[in-house]
Amino acid sequence: MAYSEKVIEHYENPKNVGALDKEDPTVGTGLVGAPACGDVMRLQIRVNDSGVIEDAKFKTFGCGSAIASSSLATEWIKGKHIDEAGRIQNSQIAEELNLPPVKIHCSVLAEDAIKSAIEDFRQKRAAQRALAADAPATAAK
Amino acid sequence: MLDPFATLGLEPAFDLDLAEAERRHRDLSRALHPDRHSQSTPADRRAALGKAIEVNEAWRTLKDPIRRGEALLRRLGVEVEEGREPKPDPAFLMHVMEQREALAQAGRERNEARLEALVGEMRAEQARAIAALSLELGRAAANGGASVHAAALLSRLGELRYCQRFLDEATMLRDELF
Repeated sequence: MAYSEKVIEHYENPKNVGALDKEDPTVGTGLVGAPACGDVMRLQIRVNDSGVIEDAKFKTFGCGSAIASSSLATEWIKGKHIDEAGRIQNSQIAEELNLPPVKIHCSVLAEDAIKSAIEDFRQKRAAQRALAADAPATAAK
Repeated sequence: MLDPFATLGLEPAFDLDLAEAERRHRDLSRALHPDRHSQSTPADRRAALGKAIEVNEAWRTLKDPIRRGEALLRRLGVEVEEGREPKPDPAFLMHVMEQREALAQAGRERNEARLEALVGEMRAEQARAIAALSLELGRAAANGGASVHAAALLSRLGELRYCQRFLDEATMLRDELF
């Protein structure tokens, strides 16, 4: 099957490959897999106080389309607010990369990875806020 | 899709006797071979050829644990279709990711011993997933498919695919480097 030029471009020269510290409270990690083929994808975001994604990294073990989808996803979400990034649809990724129907699931994986990274970050932030709200009450006792 | 167990005349079971299945495949293939049908009518020759293809496909399906599992799931009325699989267990996924990263590093370092060690670990993982799938399929068959835990069965099958993918990748890396 022939890959589109954009897929090859991202595959040969992927953007933002790497890892962020998953223990860092400002980092959200999304880990997703495709049970049908055994591909795995990790996408991480670093979010600032205003909820803007300052950095994004990914690592994907999978086919060219899966690598291109996650590479493109990290490029798109950098600089976006998490609310906006969470609205990115797999169809937009598939369209940008000209993915053939059999590779649509790769873009689904990338969308899932973004959502799951944002969800992880939100949970961390909520846990921190709960802790911060608790702290003065404990101190007042 | 045709039932590969019926095609080879075998009892449907995950833990089937592979040697017996291979024997059936060989015997049937021999009987269906075009040389034995050179005197038959064109229609009969076509039928024999069609049947021979079916027999080959059945054997290919049954010798692969993943495809064998899928065939049994279909028999139990569970739909095996891409995009409908349950999400994998996060801890399992994390483990797969770590192993894939370790494998990639072993490749970069051209560390054959490390690669073989990782393959060994994944084979053990695969054996565990096969045993778990076998147990669940046995359970489902025992109660006549009355209460099929489709999600659990599909999860086990998914885990097997992650293991297989890792092992395929390791084989490619080994051929490339050593």
